[in-house]
Amino acid sequence: MRGTHVSFRSAVEPAFEAEADVVVVGSGAGGGAFASYLARQGLVVGVVEAGPWIEPEQYPHSVYGAMRDLMDDWGMQVTLGRAFWPIVQARVVGGTTVINSAICVRTPADVFDRWEREFGIGRGSGRGRLAERVWMHQEALEKELSAEEVPLEALGRSNALAMKGARALGYESHYMTRYVERCAGSGQCLQGCRKRRKRSVNVVWIPEIIERGGFIVSCAPVESVTFEGRRAVGVRGRFLHPKTRERGSSFQIRAKRAVVLAASPTKTPLILWQSGLRHPAIGRFFRAHPGTGVFGVYEHEVDHNIGATQGWSTLAFRDRLGIKLETLHIPLELVASRLAGGGRTLMERLARYRFFAMWCHSIRAESVGRIHRTFFGKGIVRYTLNKEDMRRLREGVYLVARTHFAAGAQSVIPGIGGMPFEIGPHEVERIREASLDPRAYVAILSHLFGGAVMGADPRSSVTDEGGRVRDCDGLLVVDASVIPSVLGVNPQHTIMALARCFAEELLGG
Amino acid sequence: MCALYPRTEALPGIEDTDLDGFLRELRSEAPLLLRFGLFVAALVFHLTPLFTIGRPFPAFLLPKEQLDRHAARLGECQWYWIKQAIFLLKLACGLCWGRNPVVRERMGLAPYGPDSNGWRQK
Ligand SMILES: Cc1cc2nc3c(=O)[nH]c(=O)nc-3n(C[C@H](O)[C@H](O)[C@H](O)COP(=O)(O)OP(=O)(O)OC[C@H]3O[C@@H](n4cnc5c(N)ncnc54)[C@H](O)[C@@H]3O)c2cc1C
Ligand code: SF4
Repeated sequence: MRGTHVSFRSAVEPAFEAEADVVVVGSGAGGGAFASYLARQGLVVGVVEAGPWIEPEQYPHSVYGAMRDLMDDWGMQVTLGRAFWPIVQARVVGGTTVINSAICVRTPADVFDRWEREFGIGRGSGRGRLAERVWMHQEALEKELSAEEVPLEALGRSNALAMKGARALGYESHYMTRYVERCAGSGQCLQGCRKRRKRSVNVVWIPEIIERGGFIVSCAPVESVTFEGRRAVGVRGRFLHPKTRERGSSFQIRAKRAVVLAASPTKTPLILWQSGLRHPAIGRFFRAHPGTGVFGVYEHEVDHNIGATQGWSTLAFRDRLGIKLETLHIPLELVASRLAGGGRTLMERLARYRFFAMWCHSIRAESVGRIHRTFFGKGIVRYTLNKEDMRRLREGVYLVARTHFAAGAQSVIPGIGGMPFEIGPHEVERIREASLDPRAYVAILSHLFGGAVMGADPRSSVTDEGGRVRDCDGLLVVDASVIPSVLGVNPQHTIMALARCFAEELLGG
Repeated sequence: MCALYPRTEALPGIEDTDLDGFLRELRSEAPLLLRFGLFVAALVFHLTPLFTIGRPFPAFLLPKEQLDRHAARLGECQWYWIKQAIFLLKLACGLCWGRNPVVRERMGLAPYGPDSNGWRQK
């Protein structure tokens, strides 16, 4: 079994059984970082992943293909609340690192201060220690995953224009540092990097885990953790064909030392419930960085799909306003759904596509949601932004619009219901009077947190500060589910480094 | 779908793409919930001309000019459920229209290669 990959097995084949020192459920940012660390320490790690293993050369080109082959539920999961906002995640070996923009930002110090103040995290092991360990791992990860600033030749016009706008307004901004080696600027990060430049988990760590004697089981959604007494001793489930959705044979994978959940904030709580755990905090304290985009319309062609998908950003408004601005190249297929109108009106708007630049913002939202399990065992997310967060979201639109104008845009398309389709520079203040109803915005959630949060208080946290699940032994959570607050920066660097800290603790290091 | 993305002087419409092939793919591959959502969205499109342009007919019976006015107004509708339905319909149309090589060429984009639909079995 060592050093192999096992994929879908049909129902007529015998049940699949295997054993590892540690079984990791989910191969995304958290699971990949954790599993690769243990594999380097000589442990046999078995990674069990719900989605298929798709090589970069096999990634689909089109957005339709990406939704079908890479995304969880075709990217159609939405929040249930005042508005239905899409929750985007991947379901594939490599997890969401396959479809993300690979932006790499170190965890700001204020995050650790908050964790200590509000959740008692870091107190046990001495103040500042968790922060220092996370930063140490982040430094190592940056080398390991070739974190690089977007090279000038891969910037494209949109990213360069954003820099121009920020300079004109006099705020600090930068070209992004991402886990990408020699970006070719193809603008396809969200459909997976076919050029293998993005250092996603499937490209870097999964082959390494296999090489070091571990194994990967793909197309294998875990249903539950198995226990002997209070001890987690393995996982079980049934193979699922990634195309036909046909259910295959059952699988059972035993873990000699630990079972580790890293199935993402919307899935890890479900596995905990399905395994019979009933801690009252499971599914609670779901948080996110909702974001929305604003088109700037320029006099000259921008061709925003040429250049790094997300190449520019600013943290200038993070601390005071809780807003982060970024560029984002939105594929042609998705543009019309962001433009109001239909028929000839829509086509006239689309005809100006080459003159558009899409920039977006995400907010450090303090609103809290909850994950529920439906009767059919599926997860749903209840989440609505409060007024304060809606003000942030609207202010973000305003800041993006101002940056567009400062960069020379002739008009912007704010994308807020009730506002004119397009506004000129003298109308930008109108955004500040726009509706605060979530239904007036087309936002998405791509940075998710919570659902199995860590903390010092055993009543309000599912795990302790080492990711160990309470009320049982040998079960850990190492993905974004454990993160008890929003970060205000792109999360994968924090998720990966935190997972490495937990791996270190498991080994007693 | 053709009414939402019609052919214009500047751009090919969805009727100029392989819409039938796309719908076949969607029918055989998309999850039930998405197909159901699209079915409802199409119904909404056809049953609302009375509210958008004051014509008491389903959209498929409208003459071209009225159909276009209906599509334009429905696409601007702020009533949330209708807005979401049309959002979904436009998204699905966009998936078909935006991958068409002629459309992509007009937008200065390279054509897509075929989607491999494959994965590692070993
Ligand atoms: C479009 C997009 C762009 C983004 N860009 C950035 C960025 O540039 N920088 C950044 O820092 N962050 C970015 N993010 C966010 C970041 O990618 C995620 O926060 C991060 O990947 C979450 O890590 P995770 O380990 O919690 O979950 P994931 O990476 O989502 O991994 C979870 C894995 O578990 C698997 N799984 C689920 N259920 C089961 C089950 N029952 N059994 C087995 N396996 C299961 C899933 O298939 C998946 O592979 C982006 C997100 C999106 C959607
Ligand atoms: S912009 Fe293109 S080459 Fe660069 S990381 Fe993204 S997909 Fe890869």
